[in-house]
Amino acid sequence: MRKSLVLTALFLLTISVSALTPARVGAQATPVTFTVGWGAAPMDTLNPTAITLYDGGAYVIMHLIYDTLVRADVNGDPIPDLAQSWTYTNSTTVVFNLVHNATWHDGEPFTATDVVYTVNTYLAHPEFPIMRLYVQNVKSISAPDNYTVQINLNTPDATFVSELLPAMFIIPKHIWQNVSNFTSYANSNPIGTGPFKFTSWGGVNSYVQLAANTNYFLGAPHIDQLVIRYFTSYSAMALALQSGEIDYAGPLFPPALVPTLTSTSGIQVVTRPDQRYYYFCFNEYPNGTGNPTLRDVRVRIALSHAVNITELNQVVWNGTFATPQNTVIPLTFAKWVNPNIQAYDFNLTEAAQILDNAGYKVGSDGIRVSPSGVRLSFKIEVPSDYTEEYRAAQVIASWWKQIGVEAKPEITDTGTLGNEVAAWQHDTFIWVWSVGEVVGPDYFLSMFKSTEAQPNPNGGLSDSGFMNSTYDQLYTQQQETTNTTQRQQIIWQMQQILHDNAVYIPLYDPSAVQGYRSDKFTGIPGGSLPPLNQYAANNLFLSVTPISASATVQTSQPMSQSNSTVAPPSNSTAATSTGISSEALTAIAAVVIVIIAAALVVLSRRKKSGATKTQ
Amino acid sequence: MVSIAYATRKITGLLVTIFLVLTFNFYLFRIVPGNPFALLFRGAGLSANAVRSLNAQFGLDQPLWIQYVVYLRNTLTGNLGLSFQTRTPVTDMILPALINTVILLSAASIISIILGILIGILTAWRRGSKIDVGASATTLVLYSMPTFWLGLVLLVMGVIYFKLPVAGMRSFSGVAPGTIGQLIDLGRHMILPLLTLVLGLVGQYVLVMKGALLDVFTEDFMVTAKAKGISNRKLLWDHGFRNAVLPMVALVALNLGLSIGGAVQTETVFSWPGMGLLIYQAILSRDYPVLQGSFLVVTVAVIIANFVADMLYPILDPRVSET
Repeated sequence: MRKSLVLTALFLLTISVSALTPARVGAQATPVTFTVGWGAAPMDTLNPTAITLYDGGAYVIMHLIYDTLVRADVNGDPIPDLAQSWTYTNSTTVVFNLVHNATWHDGEPFTATDVVYTVNTYLAHPEFPIMRLYVQNVKSISAPDNYTVQINLNTPDATFVSELLPAMFIIPKHIWQNVSNFTSYANSNPIGTGPFKFTSWGGVNSYVQLAANTNYFLGAPHIDQLVIRYFTSYSAMALALQSGEIDYAGPLFPPALVPTLTSTSGIQVVTRPDQRYYYFCFNEYPNGTGNPTLRDVRVRIALSHAVNITELNQVVWNGTFATPQNTVIPLTFAKWVNPNIQAYDFNLTEAAQILDNAGYKVGSDGIRVSPSGVRLSFKIEVPSDYTEEYRAAQVIASWWKQIGVEAKPEITDTGTLGNEVAAWQHDTFIWVWSVGEVVGPDYFLSMFKSTEAQPNPNGGLSDSGFMNSTYDQLYTQQQETTNTTQRQQIIWQMQQILHDNAVYIPLYDPSAVQGYRSDKFTGIPGGSLPPLNQYAANNLFLSVTPISASATVQTSQPMSQSNSTVAPPSNSTAATSTGISSEALTAIAAVVIVIIAAALVVLSRRKKSGATKTQ
Repeated sequence: MVSIAYATRKITGLLVTIFLVLTFNFYLFRIVPGNPFALLFRGAGLSANAVRSLNAQFGLDQPLWIQYVVYLRNTLTGNLGLSFQTRTPVTDMILPALINTVILLSAASIISIILGILIGILTAWRRGSKIDVGASATTLVLYSMPTFWLGLVLLVMGVIYFKLPVAGMRSFSGVAPGTIGQLIDLGRHMILPLLTLVLGLVGQYVLVMKGALLDVFTEDFMVTAKAKGISNRKLLWDHGFRNAVLPMVALVALNLGLSIGGAVQTETVFSWPGMGLLIYQAILSRDYPVLQGSFLVVTVAVIIANFVADMLYPILDPRVSET
């Protein structure tokens, strides 16, 4: 019995050892794969009509498979995509000249009928959560010929071409005309005109695999295959980048992990301003149940004087990974940001003075009281998804204490806080506006309209309750002003109104930290706008180029040795390895032998003691 | 053998429990504050238009009792609803995740059960010796380690020293062709999560086995058997283990059932796309239908596993069906 066990163990050992010898196949050209690690929301649907989230993972992927009529460049101005040129024949009519050489992934040619079909479908289906919004202002569309479309708008609209069209996907008529229920259609093999063709999707939390569209009308990508892998842990992603398992990691690396990345040679860290900003919000809604003293603009201004944004930036973001923000539009929208707005300067004496003059006298417990007897005591709520802001809330509370205002920082479950805000029950909170898909300032300005603060079964966008008729008029005006300079002036004026009324205290605009293997790939663009999705001029996936174009075993050897001996670099495929590393096999063999040895020991002991006992 | 009365009693209990679970499942997710669409809406850019249409699509604007009836009817016909996040059937999301979890956790369970039994027997037989102290201490220490931390440590060591893959279930390049290549690739991805799970799970099996066996060793019939001259091996397996196995069966059944829920911490660390990760993501995005469906699957699995254990008891120990 023991003998046979020993023999089995030896046999297994022999097999393990023989498996360690790697098989080498001859050199051949192998496809280049660019693997991206993605830590934000994974793609949740393959159906562009069913997309609900501006910031969901679906948008990133859809932009690679589908095209839009126009895209935006780094300044947010529209540049050609499926439409090579366009003209306004009058203030409400735009004529687009389409490209002639675009084809759908199944080989069918792209023509004006597809655009007409797309717009009419979106118009006819108000249940499409997002796509419907882009055609809200469209009255009708027609196609004078195969490569020209004319769109008639209801009112003059400055945002239609520059902000709405870059996010509106064009879908193929010959596929979708047979679909009966659009939003529940699986669309398991999406056909678009975009730079990448769909290969496979592993389900919500795993990966998306795409192949390059060699016939892409704007020029084929320089890589053959694109794989996007969803990670739930940025630590694991950093490891994967270090070991070469992925080539690009993002989109929002926590700053704490940056030293890990910079310390590895072959990894380049890229820091970009991100299209979002953190802010402090006051509830000034007249019919809300929050502290009513916040409806007094003097209180809000005084409290704004008692917040030092630069120091908060230091406390939460180390000062290096975020830029202080003075207005309600992310700094990435450069020309729309009013540069003349400065934050209320940090001056506790002035803050106290304003409150004194406004009649908020300090009470016996050190907390100010309004003339009608309401104490200046507020909750500062922090959503559970952003617990790092709790420190900021505590610092703010300590400043406010010095001017006789009581503040109670509190972390609240994000969903609950959302409900509270919709019901106007909050006092103040710190949150973030982050809408990656939006190309222009319109969305960020729309949340301060009076209509957004009106009671609505599902809540409007407004969380401050700010209602101002001048602001509303200016909003409609800027939407219809097609002259960029004039529109800019109006938008600057709107920001000034928001600042004068201390609606928010804008805090900071954090950077997006990403890393990539600079020893394997080049052509990664810099720049401020998110390059991972929307913008053709800045599109990461179109410009990335492998450094070693040849994929022979000899030339790829130096790279593979820096990562591992047998596991190949990720920009080459199958043929050159056994698929399992020798170290792993050794470990398995060792474990198996240990288990067998342990079993042997136990059995022999029992036998031995059995023998002794019977004597 | 099992009497009809006993089996009927147990089956009735099973059905009643499942019904109670369905009801509790439903209300649990409705009572929790926070409309899911308000969350999607807030800060993630969902338009009011979208919220309205989603509410209508999911019937969230109906009164609660109507939602309950619809839920019962749908569940019993196999329709677990549509996910809030993807608007595709929940069953389509749960099924692949379930398979991935079963692959990982059945392997982990089997290995840790066998290891646990062997080590438990070893430490019970050699009680007081260095082997006992060493093995018991090691398994206890490993059992009490936080899974997340253990996983991360193994991840770092595994990736740096053994060049194992960092995450997921498969590679996209460098895989040898054919089924063998795919199996090897799967194996490479499974090693670290498997190790994490086994190291964490083994402890409880060791403790239960050891305790049960020691209990049996103190019985009079063991002394009698030894006095009769029965070999140590027969003493251990035929007399000791056979009687000690009952509590182990209960534990094994329960754990196998619970393992359907996936190991959330392990799956998160290794990005293993199983039930645990699905539940975790669904919690973050307040995806009620997916959560409801997953919890239903897990509880039904536990109930069935328990039922199987209940059916096994009378076979293993004839005294049980008397109760």
